[in-house]
Amino acid sequence: MDNRGRRHWIAPSILSLLLLAAIIWGYNQYYVKSKYEVALENQYQRLFYDVKKHVENVQVGLSKALVASSKERNILLFSQIMSDANFAQDKLGQLPISHAEVANTEKFLTQAADYCYYLIQKHLEGEDITPEQREALTNLQNNSAAFNEELDRLHQAMADSSFMYGVASNMGFGGRRNQEDGLGSQLQASLLNLEAGVSETPELIYDGPFADQMLNRKPVGLPQNKVSMEEAQQAAIEFFGEDRVQDVEAFELGENINEARIPAYTFNLFPNNQQRELAVYMGVAQQGGKVLWMSNPRPISNAQISVEEAEQYAIEYLKEKGFENMVSNYYLQYDGGVLFNFVNTENDITIYPDLVKVKVALDTGEIVGFDASAYYLNHQDREFDTPEISVEEAASTLREGFEVDSIRLALIPKGKREVLCYEFKGMYEDSQFIVYVNVLNGKEEEILQLIHNENGTLTF
Amino acid sequence: MKKFIARTLILALVFLFIIQCYEPGKVVETANRYTSYLAPRTLYWGSTGEEVRIAQDKLRRWGYYDGAVDGVFGARTYRAVRRFQERNGLSVDGIIGPATARALGMPSAYAAQAGSSQGVNRSADEYLLARCVHGEARGEPYVGKVAVAAVVLNRVRHPSFPNTIAGVIYQPLAFTAVADGQINLTPDKDSIRAARDALNGWDPTYGCLYYWNPATATSKWIWSRKVMLKIGKHWFGL
Repeated sequence: MDNRGRRHWIAPSILSLLLLAAIIWGYNQYYVKSKYEVALENQYQRLFYDVKKHVENVQVGLSKALVASSKERNILLFSQIMSDANFAQDKLGQLPISHAEVANTEKFLTQAADYCYYLIQKHLEGEDITPEQREALTNLQNNSAAFNEELDRLHQAMADSSFMYGVASNMGFGGRRNQEDGLGSQLQASLLNLEAGVSETPELIYDGPFADQMLNRKPVGLPQNKVSMEEAQQAAIEFFGEDRVQDVEAFELGENINEARIPAYTFNLFPNNQQRELAVYMGVAQQGGKVLWMSNPRPISNAQISVEEAEQYAIEYLKEKGFENMVSNYYLQYDGGVLFNFVNTENDITIYPDLVKVKVALDTGEIVGFDASAYYLNHQDREFDTPEISVEEAASTLREGFEVDSIRLALIPKGKREVLCYEFKGMYEDSQFIVYVNVLNGKEEEILQLIHNENGTLTF
Repeated sequence: MKKFIARTLILALVFLFIIQCYEPGKVVETANRYTSYLAPRTLYWGSTGEEVRIAQDKLRRWGYYDGAVDGVFGARTYRAVRRFQERNGLSVDGIIGPATARALGMPSAYAAQAGSSQGVNRSADEYLLARCVHGEARGEPYVGKVAVAAVVLNRVRHPSFPNTIAGVIYQPLAFTAVADGQINLTPDKDSIRAARDALNGWDPTYGCLYYWNPATATSKWIWSRKVMLKIGKHWFGL
């Protein structure tokens, strides 16, 4: 063979080798991809079967609770239902279904768990289930039965379909498979069937963190009169200091702003000596034109003042803005500033729901953050209970070995209610805790753990 | 000819070998990235405290750092950490994760953290939220970042959503930045500050649960929400 003949072979053989390499590489990719797909599919299948099992348990548990006649049995049943409903809710939220389809079902499960927790508390207080609560339980039972039936129908139908069909097109991996066949979309359809049923049942009336009444709470601490955008803008400028504002810009509002938790106008205030990107933000309530919150995101240089000095600045600021009798509780130091939690006091009672937060920059002592939304949400004229048990009696209920450092009267939020308590702050073993004991019946209402570090205190 | 075939075969084999090695290597790398995120106390821009002080002291002694040992992770500390990582063959990200901490000789900092608070703190929540904010609202004004973080926290408190921060952020189909992996970018200073402000109670959205960018939103459903206000490029709603 001569040289020329050989050269004819070089290009094709290199190309075919490259092709071979590409095929091997491609196959490798395909192999890895299908491995991932199977792993993910298995995970989804597991979640689906778990959801089904948990919903079944919820349904059976509720039926038993309707039969059970003793409080002890009910408490056990409710705690099981609570954990099963929570698990079902958690796992349903991990399935690849869009939120729109799953929202009401998740809400139903969360509230079922929350409602059971509420009933456990009622039972522990010695109360029986009222006819209304029984009816609510029956409704919950019916809804979970309907959910269970849908899940069962789905299980029968799923035979050889998989979640990944739906996911592939849903997540935009390219929809080469038919989306209709996907278990995910079948589940979505079932959930839509269910939504109709769930939304027809009356809302649960109870006191818990996830109750509708908590979500739809309206501020009680704001005046009734409505202010216009111009008045609110003037209030914002005055709040920040008329001579310091160069320009104001209002945020665009949507048509439903009246349905927000606290309907408000929001402004950008451009201070005199700052760059335009570093505006100060402020929210002003439509009711009464009160400033709800303020945030000044300017960069903060090295600390020049101490936390104690900063606290003085914060107290003066609050006085100037019309908040009297506020005491600072805990502080948290971060990003060059220090955040103080101020709460209201009346008749020597610390009122925790009336909370105002103030953030002070440690370089100049300027107030760079203010948040009174909690205050306006909760503040009202209150009638306080007169303690029926003495401090000594309350202290005697504490665990042995709990060393009390300080005692005071405090009003704490408990769901929708506010409870007057003795506040015992102290150490147990090596950790610091606050224990709240009800002044009427000596019940332990709440325990908080305090975590200190050099930046301040967090409560858990 | 035989020589030629042998040579190309060897070439092809080397080529294939490289391809085969490539894939697993990448998986290991991402795994490392995740463990560094999940480490008990990762120090990054904006971190403060005793561990930062220890790190600054070490970096200063070795000549990487010329600022004050003040326990605040700022721009100078960031650059010092990057220089240190560069010289020591670590991945250069300006974050003191487990690998960098070990190279600095400060693994004891992890044990010390566990003692007093028994590992209870808020930094994991803070960092996850900051990553979500960074992925979702990088180009937004500061208040827009706080608003996105506040929406996540409002969802945690709402019955229709998962009840933990991670549950809400990683809910399938909820956030585009999670689906396309942008959440794994290292958050900048503003995102971390915004996450902290939101965790401390600031809510510029007055309780909103959704937000969308009118220019890119594809879902018809999202337009049926109750519209509250516009912050930066996003509309916020309930």
